[in-house]
Amino acid sequence: MMNSLPSVSDDPAEIGRAFDRLDGSVKRWIWDQGWTELRDTQARAVAPILDGQLDVIISAATASGKTEAAWLPIISALAAQRSEGGEVLAGVKALYVSPLKALINDQYNRLQSLCELAGLPVNRRHGDVVGAERRALSTAPDGVLLITPESLEALFVLQGTHIPAIFASLSYVVIDEMHSFIGSERGAQLQSLLNRIELATRRRIPRIGLSATFADFTAASDFIRPNYGPEVCIIDSADTDTTDLQLQLRGYVDAGKSFDADPPPDVDEDEVHSVDKRAIAEHLFNTLRGKDNLVFANSRAAVEAYTDLLEQISVAHRVPNEFMPHHGNLSKQFREDVERRLKAGDTPTTAVCTSTLEMGIDIGSADSVAQIGAPHSVSALRQRLGRSGRRGQPSVLRIYVSEPEIDSRTNILDRLRSDLFQATAIVELMLEKWYEPPNVAGLHLSTLIQQVLSVIAQHSGAFAKQLFSALCSNGPFRHVTAEMFTQLLRDLAEHEIITQSTDGTLLPGRIGEALLNHYSFYAAFQSVEEYRLMADSRVLGTIPVDYPILVGSMMIFAGKRWRVVAIDAPSKTIQLTRAAGGKAPVFHSSGGEIADGIRQKMRHLYESDCVPAYLDHESVQLVQQGRSTYRQYRLATGQVVQAGNDCIIFPWRGSRITNTISVMLTVGGIKTGVDGLSISCHDVQLDELYAALADISAMDPPDGIELASEVPMKIFDKNDQFLGERLLSQAYAARDLDPVGATDAISLILDSMLQD
Amino acid sequence: MTDDPTTAIRPRDRDTLLQALRTGVVPRVGQQYIQVGRANEVQALVSDINRIADGGSGVRFVIGEYGSGKTFFLNLVRSIALQQKLVTVHADLSPDRRLQATGGQARSLYAELMRNMATRAKPDGGAMSNVVERFISEALKEAQETGRTPESIIRSRLDQLTELTGGYDFAEVVAKYWQGFDTGNEQLKMDAVRWLRGEFSTRTDARAALGVRTIIDDANVYDQLKLLALFVRLAGFSGLLVCLDEMVNLYKLANSQARNSNYEQILRIINDATQGTANGLGFIMGGTPDFLMDPRRGLYSYSALQSRLAENSYATNGLVDYTGPVIRLANLSPEDFYVLLTKLRNVQAGGDPANYTITDDGIRSFMGHCATRIGDSYFRTPRNSIKGFLDLLAVLEQNPDQDWSDLIPQLEFETESNPDLEPLPEADLPDKVTEISPQVTVTEPPQDDELTSFRL
Repeated sequence: MMNSLPSVSDDPAEIGRAFDRLDGSVKRWIWDQGWTELRDTQARAVAPILDGQLDVIISAATASGKTEAAWLPIISALAAQRSEGGEVLAGVKALYVSPLKALINDQYNRLQSLCELAGLPVNRRHGDVVGAERRALSTAPDGVLLITPESLEALFVLQGTHIPAIFASLSYVVIDEMHSFIGSERGAQLQSLLNRIELATRRRIPRIGLSATFADFTAASDFIRPNYGPEVCIIDSADTDTTDLQLQLRGYVDAGKSFDADPPPDVDEDEVHSVDKRAIAEHLFNTLRGKDNLVFANSRAAVEAYTDLLEQISVAHRVPNEFMPHHGNLSKQFREDVERRLKAGDTPTTAVCTSTLEMGIDIGSADSVAQIGAPHSVSALRQRLGRSGRRGQPSVLRIYVSEPEIDSRTNILDRLRSDLFQATAIVELMLEKWYEPPNVAGLHLSTLIQQVLSVIAQHSGAFAKQLFSALCSNGPFRHVTAEMFTQLLRDLAEHEIITQSTDGTLLPGRIGEALLNHYSFYAAFQSVEEYRLMADSRVLGTIPVDYPILVGSMMIFAGKRWRVVAIDAPSKTIQLTRAAGGKAPVFHSSGGEIADGIRQKMRHLYESDCVPAYLDHESVQLVQQGRSTYRQYRLATGQVVQAGNDCIIFPWRGSRITNTISVMLTVGGIKTGVDGLSISCHDVQLDELYAALADISAMDPPDGIELASEVPMKIFDKNDQFLGERLLSQAYAARDLDPVGATDAISLILDSMLQD
Repeated sequence: MTDDPTTAIRPRDRDTLLQALRTGVVPRVGQQYIQVGRANEVQALVSDINRIADGGSGVRFVIGEYGSGKTFFLNLVRSIALQQKLVTVHADLSPDRRLQATGGQARSLYAELMRNMATRAKPDGGAMSNVVERFISEALKEAQETGRTPESIIRSRLDQLTELTGGYDFAEVVAKYWQGFDTGNEQLKMDAVRWLRGEFSTRTDARAALGVRTIIDDANVYDQLKLLALFVRLAGFSGLLVCLDEMVNLYKLANSQARNSNYEQILRIINDATQGTANGLGFIMGGTPDFLMDPRRGLYSYSALQSRLAENSYATNGLVDYTGPVIRLANLSPEDFYVLLTKLRNVQAGGDPANYTITDDGIRSFMGHCATRIGDSYFRTPRNSIKGFLDLLAVLEQNPDQDWSDLIPQLEFETESNPDLEPLPEADLPDKVTEISPQVTVTEPPQDDELTSFRL
């Protein structure tokens, strides 16, 4: 418990009285449930929520009754309001925002009996709610409203003039799964919508966040009430996680493809299914068939490859295929069909899906979850794990990691078995209940564009000054300065997103209007764009770009090294040419930012001797191979390895700092490429590299925006395409570069080179 | 519409006028005392009114910049129409009140128009019952004169209504009113008036109350206005004038489909008016130049409207044509504004020059002060400067020993803003919390001066 306020007492007697403070109808409901007492979290939440002024974060493990901890006092306060007599004010009384439709449907059913006793109607609104249920909200808003951020956005755009009436008597806002919002575009959208509700109702409405636990609640407090984070009351439950976890990490060796003979470059890596993929697919088929499961793969290509394999296996066994792909490029109809099958209890289905869709889709809970390839973050893995075992069953997680076969020419990165170590490090950190600190430095300009258009639609036009005040200076986009905002408006006008009438009112432009009139406008997030890789007018494949690629830099694809010749951001194409050099490591882009803590944990695992119990026989072998390579290259002390004409740097830092070092070196004239864990520097000797690094270290940390201007591909989020070069660089620098951290890391690398 | 400054002004008119101007709204009465210039424009509308009273029709677009006095002009025209025995209805368009919609916004515009229905005897609105009452009393009068039963006279008059779209139910509702009148059923009378005012929102309610199968809803607003135009003539008035202000709200609609369907209704109104099929019905719509001419969102974006509303290409360089459907209100000049201030002084003094509280020099000094504080807009969009001037006069009147030259430099002007987008006051935060954590960091007030005058 931290930052607690005197009004939240830890006095046991006080907590004991919590039950007595609840309204009669809520007490009756608790008795009806057969509960003998309130749980600790629930009791401690009563006083601050009944207070009706404080913002509260309730943090506890899943299945510890934290939603009830919020609802019991809220419904109690609303029931008391109602029984105090007088006229019942029109308008929604409590607003519940959840990232998932499934959670809303679940809450909808669970709240019915409680709210019925208190005389409150429950309404829900998300993409699948239609007809009369939808109309009830606009004709007679009342009671509890359960909604997704996207549907809330739609309410602002389509019924802007009714917003003050709908929320006139709003007393509480509840944010479920709050941790999943922090630092994301969707989170920025939610903050903005909550702020706009308060602007419309002209008063501050207490917010209750339900969240997984954090070691440090600063980011969470500042998320729930920007600028006033220290005043947020935090109820951090001491209850331990009661759900069982069954975990296995399976290692595989890719022995199927020979790298000695150069395979023809036009053969897609995934078209020929290698032996390891077959083995993984066989294991999936044998263990998952007959139940509902989710299999997460790190790219669309992998999703396609595994569903293809699983279908072949099903055909060979003459059984109906239960394995369906699910990713952003598939048609909506197909995806909905898979979702329906998963929801229906009688059709066993396994969805093979990409990480980028994990928050957007409604696939309910599954019997088990599998992860193919190393995950990239602890929170993402937890999120996926949370999809299984909700019905009192244990959570089941299988992770499949495949590493290439080693021969005399295999390079150091593959010998280190870095994917397997990354997966193990993430699992270890998850078991330690460690979380990535959310990246809150982002400017979220893409979402700001959405909000600008939405405010304009809500008020039928707005002035630049009002927009800046409502969204930036007094709203959640406070990192955006007036100067940047002016530039943003000009960029938008250039793309016909907004236009200005003669009195200065900003209105939607031709394209902006088309955006607003389509339902896809309401979502702030989109699946990560994949770039097409071309070599001599042949398409090699597609990759999600999550690390900076500069013209002249090196990259690895389909087991080969390539040099980037040209980049065309609008058509999302990268032109490559074959580069000379040793055999390339098999580097799998994992589709997300990797935190410093994970890389540090990996290094710790390399240096330790313990073997976690959840590793299977094959992966234990792989771990030992990795550790012996680590010792062989003396990586415990050295951070740079010379390999032929190349130098490989091991910064042991997260992807932000690793990327920044790579960009700095490229700007300094060295051809570099990020291979996940390491940075490979091409055609350079140790002493040259030392000189280059020393040059960088001698100067002050460079300006992030200048570095960012060297990176050609900066379009990541939905509306980034409407931004000009300068703002893109500012956004990229804020989100993806850390020049100060990189300079620190470089001085450590220099020290290690001196010792050598 | 000329006024003689020596004419005494009734204290009631004086107070209503001054009160309206000081709160920043356009007065509903007494406009003639402060009307400045625009004689030709007024004359053009007077001839429209006469034509409507003759059974003709008309449509005019009054186009001017923000604050150029469109609303004032519309109210002036409306008061003239009332004098000519027309019934007037008026409403401001808003995102929730449009000519055409599917979510109840058109019915809401209709209901607003009906709430504001005015006659000469009831110029402040709410005249629907009076109009229906008048229809009945006219019939009763004729019954007395001819010896026929009132019932048969009412029926034969209502027969004319049934020929128009939706007329059968309209006539049925008026007949119900007569039935209520005849049998002393107040509830029935009230329900009939409620139906006519567009206040029934479901067919079931209307059927239970009045036995009709339809209600006035989004789809038939314009048809109902045409019926109403005929009905007020049957009730002995000379016609119906519909004043729609703030048409710029259609231009601001974010949904292009919604915008175009509203423009389609306007096209229908123009067609009916120019072809003479809407008898005794006139429309006058106020909007900004953007609303008319913006090639992408304005009326001109709808090509059928552009050709109908294009201005006379010869009427340039000082040549004028007041017979086209578009009337442009030029902004006031400083000279006009000076005349306006002298008229305000006159109104405030009740029309008696002996009571003037400020000299001509004082007025000039006030204008000079405005010019330095708020620039050109003090006379172009004079709402705030009028308010400031009347505040000054009020102080001078109640403190006769004060001199205007001391007061003028202290005058401040309010700026207008959308209150919904202003930041919440800090006082809204719970006090105790602020005390506990003094380390609260509030971001520096940003330098957003550039945004105030932001131009793309």
